[in-house]
Amino acid sequence: MPLDTSTYSLALLRLDGRRWNELRNIHAQISTQAAADGSSYLEMGNTKVLCTVTGPAEGRQSGQRGGKDNEAKVEVEIGFAGFSGLERRKRKNDKRTSEMQHTLETAYSSLLLTHLYPHSTITLNIHILSQDGSLLAACINAATLALIDAGIPMTDYLVACTAASSATSAESDNSDPLLDLNNLEEQELSFLTVGTLGRSDRVSVLIMETRVRMERVEGMLAVGIDGCKRMREILDRVVKEYGQRFS
Amino acid sequence: MPITILPPSAPIATAHLKHEDSDEDMSDDDGLPIQSATSIVTPGETVTSDPQWMRGHGTYVPAETTTIISTVAGHLHKTNKLLSVQPLRARYQPEIGDLVVGRIVSVQTKKWTVDIAAPMLASLPLSAINLPGGILRRRTAVDELNIRTFFSEGDLLVAEVQSLHGDNTASLHTRSLKYGKLRNGLFTSLSGAGGGILSRRGGVVRSKRQTFTLQTSAGEIDVVLGVNGYIFVSAHNKSKQDEKDVSITSLEQGVSETLYSSQNDEIEPGVAREITRVSTLVKGLVACGRRVDEDMIVRVYEGAVDLDAEEKVMGSADRAGGAKGVVEAVLGRLEMGG
Repeated sequence: MPLDTSTYSLALLRLDGRRWNELRNIHAQISTQAAADGSSYLEMGNTKVLCTVTGPAEGRQSGQRGGKDNEAKVEVEIGFAGFSGLERRKRKNDKRTSEMQHTLETAYSSLLLTHLYPHSTITLNIHILSQDGSLLAACINAATLALIDAGIPMTDYLVACTAASSATSAESDNSDPLLDLNNLEEQELSFLTVGTLGRSDRVSVLIMETRVRMERVEGMLAVGIDGCKRMREILDRVVKEYGQRFS
Repeated sequence: MPITILPPSAPIATAHLKHEDSDEDMSDDDGLPIQSATSIVTPGETVTSDPQWMRGHGTYVPAETTTIISTVAGHLHKTNKLLSVQPLRARYQPEIGDLVVGRIVSVQTKKWTVDIAAPMLASLPLSAINLPGGILRRRTAVDELNIRTFFSEGDLLVAEVQSLHGDNTASLHTRSLKYGKLRNGLFTSLSGAGGGILSRRGGVVRSKRQTFTLQTSAGEIDVVLGVNGYIFVSAHNKSKQDEKDVSITSLEQGVSETLYSSQNDEIEPGVAREITRVSTLVKGLVACGRRVDEDMIVRVYEGAVDLDAEEKVMGSADRAGGAKGVVEAVLGRLEMGG
């Protein structure tokens, strides 16, 4: 075991000194790039993500119309900076990246009011500057902020965070669900990424790549959804503070 | 130790935020619409649940409810019983009659497609332009073959939105001497700042005069303020001056052979400097969140020239750098002077 999580049960403090239900420090900015239609920068702990939105605009290939049925098409591109992780990645596009792109595309296609922009394309460019866990959640949160900056109508904020179960071995019962994992915790524990719509409990993104015992999922999900609500408040405050500049 | 899972409604004690409670709870849910000018509504925020209001742009009503919910971040506007939310920033949405500056993206058999910063590319049919020489006739196959002699890819033009199609695609026309190809100048794009959005402070708004001539020390320069946020500042076109007030019925005199020329004239350094100055000031106005219109540009331009002259004499400029710094300094002086 590369990481000793057994100490958690003694002090109830995680590796970085947080309690089970604490989010990391979140810093967000919107409208960071003047030339883009919408842009945002988000830090969740040491995970740093930059997102720009282009569009709604005509698709890249001329003649090719956007989405079907008079709706706008949502395209997502995720790029990893070479220095973002602990070691440089060899291949540009792997399956995990394309799965993240697909997750974001489907989530935002249903969230945005795409019928207002028939035949056009909304492109999200996400640049990952630093990876330290909760990567998909950070991408979703940054994309939501950038889309708000671009003035694209959406029914509500889509916010996401991660949750895990602190128990590594099957027999130990005294385990807490953990909120907002960092990279070390992600490697050690089974975790899920949950994205919800604003203040409601409606889950729109739910991804788990690891195995976990059935009865723990409910607790993880409850903590994740609670974290999303807190996240929405934080992002909402960022948007409102930005709005003050226009008053 | 037993775990207790908090019920979803219970708040979690979390996140040490840097800005602690800097703002009060601004959302006044379920009441009458928020009228305070300082607050904005954000997506998902309930504007009102009173069924007497009608929903406008930037809002939606979930199925089987009467609650009006905002879909964008922006200011709330009330027109009688209609509630709409104007986003802080958004792409330009074309409307009929708008004067726009555009760039040709592609040439097709009978039309051009033009980038006007809208969600969709606009089209400019061959039949919606003036032919050189002012001849009024049907467009023939020869015109279609020579389509690139009028506009080719990358050309800038000023046009008017003639009609809108079902999917909000605009059709343009240039059938007036005010419109046509642009040259001898500098193009500036103000992103997210077009469209005359009411709640936004900075940017180009629909006004009576979108094109005007500015008197400068080095000579006259033309300014074209496209409603879509594209700006073109150029050396004054003398031929246009002579044939002012030419109506659409007597185009023959006005349309000369230089109409579709892509060749820039020789521009004197003095004029070029003033063109750059105006263009920079426009960018600065937007950065300061000011409205860009004729009156504002004239005032700020004159202020900037005075400021420049003074600083040359006095030396050391005591202000922030860049376009924003200049505009801030000029506006400060204008307000002090009354």
